[in-house]
Amino acid sequence: MSIVKLEKICKNYTLGKTTLNALKNIDLNVEQGEFIALAGPSGSGKTTALNIIGCIDKPSSGKVFIDECEISYLSSDGLADIRAGKIGFIFQNFNLLPVLNALENVEYPLLHKKMAFHKKRKLAQEALESVGLGKYARHRPMELSGGQQQRVAIARALSTSPLMILADEPTANLDHVTGTEILTLMKKMNLERKTTFIFSTHDQKVMEIADKVVRLWDGEISS
Amino acid sequence: MITLTIALRNIFRHKTRSLITLSTIIFGCTAIIFAGGFFEDVFYKMRESYIHSHTGHFQIFRKGYWEKGNSQPYNYLIDNPDEIISHLQAIPGIKFITSRLQFSGLISTGENTVSCIGMGIDPGYENQDIPAGANLRKMSDAMTLEGPVIIQGKALTKNNPYTVMLGKGLASSLGITAGDPLIILTHTTGGSINALDVTAQGIFMTSSKEYDDHFLRLSLVTAKKLLHTDSVQSLVIMLDKTEDTAGVKKALARVFQDKKLDLELKSWDEISDFYRHTVNLFNRLFLILKLVIAIIVILSIFNTMNMAVLERTDEIGTIMALGTKKRGVLSLFMHEGLGLGIIGGSFGVAIGTALTHCIARIGITMPPPPGASMPWVSEPRIVLTTVVFAFMTSILTALVSSLYPAYSASRLEIADCLRHK
Ligand SMILES: Nc1ncnc2c1ncn2[C@@H]1O[C@H](COP(=O)(O)OP(=O)(O)O)[C@@H](O)[C@H]1O
Ligand SMILES: [Mg+2]
Repeated sequence: MSIVKLEKICKNYTLGKTTLNALKNIDLNVEQGEFIALAGPSGSGKTTALNIIGCIDKPSSGKVFIDECEISYLSSDGLADIRAGKIGFIFQNFNLLPVLNALENVEYPLLHKKMAFHKKRKLAQEALESVGLGKYARHRPMELSGGQQQRVAIARALSTSPLMILADEPTANLDHVTGTEILTLMKKMNLERKTTFIFSTHDQKVMEIADKVVRLWDGEISS
Repeated sequence: MITLTIALRNIFRHKTRSLITLSTIIFGCTAIIFAGGFFEDVFYKMRESYIHSHTGHFQIFRKGYWEKGNSQPYNYLIDNPDEIISHLQAIPGIKFITSRLQFSGLISTGENTVSCIGMGIDPGYENQDIPAGANLRKMSDAMTLEGPVIIQGKALTKNNPYTVMLGKGLASSLGITAGDPLIILTHTTGGSINALDVTAQGIFMTSSKEYDDHFLRLSLVTAKKLLHTDSVQSLVIMLDKTEDTAGVKKALARVFQDKKLDLELKSWDEISDFYRHTVNLFNRLFLILKLVIAIIVILSIFNTMNMAVLERTDEIGTIMALGTKKRGVLSLFMHEGLGLGIIGGSFGVAIGTALTHCIARIGITMPPPPGASMPWVSEPRIVLTTVVFAFMTSILTALVSSLYPAYSASRLEIADCLRHK
């Protein structure tokens, strides 16, 4: 089943008089359970592509299907619902909320779901345990290492059991060993839960773990 | 719930900045509560001192006096005061009813003669013997609640009719001290001239310099003798509590109607224009003060909230990516503003009330108000409505000043927020 389908996606940024074509006619199909790397040098359009898949940004032209549903007609609230229900996010800078502890951070996306408070707590606790940080529930992000923070972020992305998780350079701010651990964890979750992962990277080593590598070059897929 | 948690934790995240913002709110609340209490004390003292030294709570005249009594005072005398008093006495809330008879005339030492207004009063009622305390505060309290204060000599007594009390200014323009002999000269109600030898029994002072410069007080019996009349000019009603004015007024009007009394009733607030104007003026001043404070508080919170939005752009992007809608972001920052308002308002009310209370206990010596000659001691009062107003204003200003920052936060583009670093 196709989870994400991009059809002739273009994204242009107007900078004064010049137009920058960040994405040029991108076609992409992602199936359920895939573990895909978007690879390419800095500035090649990885973040832009992930933002469009993640309903964070709108393409200048082309169609985006999420879970076989065209999203260009959706309002900003409709898109927020899609993000809350179907997509998990992992960021390069971890992006945990500093005022919340690890458990509360993991619980945050569950707030948009209608379920009993204790059930949310339980799901969050389980997600945190599944990334091996059960004991750090009460720690604030500041008190955790980069690797631990990214694990919390993975737990946060997993807590709602989304269709797919998008990770924009999840290892770029981590040392090599920790980065590999994070990626191994993502792969493990992909295998255990059949959650689709799409992540971007410019690191050759990281790409090797992916089932499939989509190479971006100057806004185009170069396969 | 979580929104409130996040909002509150964010308030305490920047301790110094929040503390400064909270201080502004606390300062604003305190200023409003204190100023409101100060004004209320001014109103209270002014009102009560006027009532007790001059107007009473009500004055009753013969019909027509209010309009024409000034030029022909003796055409509007009340002939049956005792009968009227007996009708009214039973009304609850009334402390006493007494008669007055006023005249203008000359007072002379033999060397010096000045014009004066004589007020015949019943020493049994209107003549508390309050010695001038050495303490300014006691004196201003006495003036507020009891009436004229005797600064030299003794009060009038019932059994010695040939004595008078002079206002401070009147005594000094005659150049006399207590105990000196004087002659009063005036027209009788019939139009002939009459004079009386009296002794200056004492010198008094009220909150009104005007009054002290022109008035002498003497026993009603003496005034009647001097004017050759058995009638009185007005009845003065004193209540136990000024708050009862409106209620007693209704009751009085009812009795007037039942007993077909052809009389005019004026309450203290109708008689003293000066009080009304002062209250209006001060209320206007207070309004301006409140506005200025509100603006300062709004700007301060606005600044804090704007900084918060700027600093947390990436967090806004993150929570929106995680599915929080625009109104969720709006609500988060509104909660933060509300939190500032509630915390600041609570502390502000507590500190403002406590401070006002302490200052009231110590008292602030103030220069004589317009039309008075004596300094007074201000004891700011805690006014419940002002306290509630201060608290509501804290919350309202906090909400108003958070509105724009919260709105602009909710309008941010997620992709831009996330690239922001
Ligand atoms: N908001 C923007 N305005 C203008 N140009 C942008 C904006 N976002 C991205 N770009 C440009 O689009 C191109 C692709 O950027 P990006 O998707 O971030 O690449 P990557 O993530 O692969 O480094 C870059 O040249 C970048 O400068
Ligand atoms: Mg990028």
